[in-house]
Amino acid sequence: MAHAQAEETRVDWEAALVQRARAGDRRAFERLYREHVGRVYGLCLRMTRDAQLAEDCTQETFINAWRALGKFETRSTLSTWLHRIAVNVSLAKRRKSGPVEAPPEEEEGGGAEWTLETPVEVQEIEGAIGELPEGARDALVLHALYGYSHGEAAQMLGIAEGTCKAQLHRARKLLRERLAVEVN
Amino acid sequence: MTTPADSNGRKVTSLREMPQSIEPARDLWPGIEAQLGELPEGAASGGTVPARRRGQPLRWLAAAAMLASVALGVWIGRSLLPGTAGIGTPQVSANRTAVPPLAPTALDAAYVSDPRYAQQRAALVQALQARLAALPPPARAKVSASLAAIEQAKQDLEEALGRDPGNALLQELLVNTYQDEMRVLTDVHEASDPGRGI
Repeated sequence: MAHAQAEETRVDWEAALVQRARAGDRRAFERLYREHVGRVYGLCLRMTRDAQLAEDCTQETFINAWRALGKFETRSTLSTWLHRIAVNVSLAKRRKSGPVEAPPEEEEGGGAEWTLETPVEVQEIEGAIGELPEGARDALVLHALYGYSHGEAAQMLGIAEGTCKAQLHRARKLLRERLAVEVN
Repeated sequence: MTTPADSNGRKVTSLREMPQSIEPARDLWPGIEAQLGELPEGAASGGTVPARRRGQPLRWLAAAAMLASVALGVWIGRSLLPGTAGIGTPQVSANRTAVPPLAPTALDAAYVSDPRYAQQRAALVQALQARLAALPPPARAKVSASLAAIEQAKQDLEEALGRDPGNALLQELLVNTYQDEMRVLTDVHEASDPGRGI
């Protein structure tokens, strides 16, 4: 109850900050930046696997967000909206630096939880995720780490939902091999 | 690939337990802010065409209520609070330590509690009805709507502060809202002056 109220109040502040930032208030936008930078940078880092590139992507995400703030619809969450921008920016940066891989064909059949049979260290999982092929990694990061649905992740990545599921299937298989534990 | 410092050695049994947030090694805001400075004015609202150009002469007035915080802070510093810019409301100052340092804060906090501000505001409010009467009806309606929205925002924020009095962000938003109100009142005052159209 108290948590829900706190969350509601936080969202209220966020809406107020968005309104002020839309009107050109940079201090309000800085507040929003400080609130969301960790989640944006976390996503960019996982997608690019390069701290410098992730910093560039994070900066570009917030600059693009500032430009497009007038188009942000408050019925969606700011966090998701920023993630959409961050995915676009990260994909664009990556496209510049290398060829795009062909997607797999087999579709994901597992659950959405991505539980591990035995506990594994966060750092070890990050390492294994980092070694995944780009397409599989993107789908896994958005779906399994950040909790987006297959459809949302597919939309953010600009791919078909079936392709996203296939990438997740591949990610699950590779993760299982690399961590040497069952991934359900 | 780096992981959050507090994640070192932590074990998880679900990928959902992985940290979603990773702080960058350096503060990226200065670089972002520098680039925002290079963007054309109005970029934050998607490059909206100024209202005056769309033939709605006073629409800017409502928007100005939200745009004016910084400029008004400077104006108030000059005209109302000579030599008092460093004085802050203790409650606000104490709580500002919990949030990133942002300019200009002491002035914000000082002016709403300054008796000269209260006097200036009271004078503007007193003259408001007469000033509004001098405006064309559409402009009058817009100004009234802006002031009503600001009044509602003040009430909401004061109510929220009643529940969470130490919240620095709510305090700042409230001060900003007072600034917005002052700006609208000042604009109405100036706009309805003979020979000074909006």
